[in-house]
Amino acid sequence: MAEGAKKTYQVPIGPVHVGLKEPITAWLDVDGERIVKATIRPGAIHRGIEFMARDRNPIQIIYLAERICGICSFTHIEAFVRAVEDAAKIEVPARAQYIRTLVLELERIHSHILWAGVACYTFGYDSAFHLGMILREKVMDVLEAFTGNRVNYGTGTVGGVRRDITPSVDNALREMIDFYKNEFGIFYDVVTEDPVAKARMRNVGVLSKEDAVTHCALGPTARGSGLRVDLRWSSPYEAYCDMDIKPLVPQDHTGEVYGDVFDRFLVRVLEVYQSIEIIETVMAGLPSGDLMWEPKLPKLLNYLKQADGTGWGAIEGPRGDDSHILRLTGGQDNITWWKVRAPTYANAVSWPIMFKDNELADAPLIINSVDPCISCMERMVLTDRSSGSGQIVTKNDLLKLCREKTGRVMGA
Amino acid sequence: MKPRCPEYVKVSMDPEQVIECIRDKFGDSVREIELRDYKGGVAGNVAYRNLWLSVDRERFTDLVDALGEIDFLHFHITSGDDIGSSVQLNYHFSLFRCAGRGNRLGITLTVDVPKSDLVMPSLWERIPGIEYSEREIREMLGVDFDGLPNKALIFLPEDWNEDIKPWRRDETGPKPEDIRELS
Repeated sequence: MAEGAKKTYQVPIGPVHVGLKEPITAWLDVDGERIVKATIRPGAIHRGIEFMARDRNPIQIIYLAERICGICSFTHIEAFVRAVEDAAKIEVPARAQYIRTLVLELERIHSHILWAGVACYTFGYDSAFHLGMILREKVMDVLEAFTGNRVNYGTGTVGGVRRDITPSVDNALREMIDFYKNEFGIFYDVVTEDPVAKARMRNVGVLSKEDAVTHCALGPTARGSGLRVDLRWSSPYEAYCDMDIKPLVPQDHTGEVYGDVFDRFLVRVLEVYQSIEIIETVMAGLPSGDLMWEPKLPKLLNYLKQADGTGWGAIEGPRGDDSHILRLTGGQDNITWWKVRAPTYANAVSWPIMFKDNELADAPLIINSVDPCISCMERMVLTDRSSGSGQIVTKNDLLKLCREKTGRVMGA
Repeated sequence: MKPRCPEYVKVSMDPEQVIECIRDKFGDSVREIELRDYKGGVAGNVAYRNLWLSVDRERFTDLVDALGEIDFLHFHITSGDDIGSSVQLNYHFSLFRCAGRGNRLGITLTVDVPKSDLVMPSLWERIPGIEYSEREIREMLGVDFDGLPNKALIFLPEDWNEDIKPWRRDETGPKPEDIRELS
């Protein structure tokens, strides 16, 4: 659309987005390189998972919930089984609570390192990206040793967990802790001390504390804006009940809050250290006892069939609070309804604010900064509505723009 | 009404006090009040609590405002179901999100919206973060939101027949021919 002599172009980014339940298209109104307005349109591959679940019993839905997301698959089943346990009044044995916490933290390390690496790649810092990928392999090896899979672990169930920590898994975990303690610091220094990385992330995609509150931002996105929020602290569950976990906010480390991409980066990097500490605490305090509230599946299913009530499971996933709510009706095998609210559902509401007045070249970094998957930018169409012409811009073109800006910052 | 000053309180109230405030102001308009304990850890002590209650649609925004006086009401999600003569919506909120360890109070407000008048007051002016959820409930369950500026489809495709409401169980719900089984 034309505005006086100046032309504003509308640039759609998306819609295909494999990493999330809700794929995202971002329609950006740009004036030259500056983004003046952004509109988000999710839904391109909405799979109707909640509708499908109406024909399944709670145990069957675990495997559906696990496939909502590849990176935080355990986060989703944890929120789901907690909702079932809330509705059906089931208490989980302490050992199972600790093992759940362990997998949640392994998943957080996986998610944050992957995110940090991809963020570096986005602005052309390939060496840091490769370093991130090397670091990430270690936690995936441990997850594979523990569960047999690198994603979709099949480990959680209603009332407990399905796998125990064997001596070989214990060794792998201790080796991983040593590895990260020695190696992760390099990654931290490379990124936080580097002037170019800082220049690309500082004051980009700013979300103020006030906007983070009113737009209900979650997880590292909210903490990056200075809000001390973390469900592991404000409503502790599982083994977090036995630990004093503090929400990590940038003002405690740099003395100030910008609410920009750098702050979100910093929060995630610091949380990797926090997760390593939590895993050590879990290993040191792992109680003995049962793994499941009811190990006999037919008996558990029969109990769940009699249960009647609504349950809500809200847990702190790598990207923020993941909420699952469901209804069980007495006498029915299948659940009545189920609602999933993945963290990006809430964080995406804040995107238009982050985009405003930033450069088009920063758009990939801003989209990335709430931690969705970068592959959402499969292609984009530049449309000049005044002349009616259209031009396809590929993900590579956009990435090139983003990387060229780093070149300009470096004076190359 | 303008959004409340966007700040979280640092000191929480007891859930019992919150219930008392609600009972004083709303009397019989609020029903089925349930305070649930959530236990965890080796000792199995109560770690946090959630409040569940039902409210009349006519008093819903007043209740949200009353809770908003206590702390900025953090919105999680709206869930819902078609229960026959009405559509039941559950609004999931949090109070005391930032007020100390174990002090967050999850609050679920259940509202019945009769099918003869499927309209709810929008909370968008109070809590802008609710936009996607209201749009989702609108397209999935057919409940309109009075005061919501952007009522475009959000998760359903652009060419979706808007007469079909995917989560409804009556004649407006999807028919067998609308459903494509993948296996």
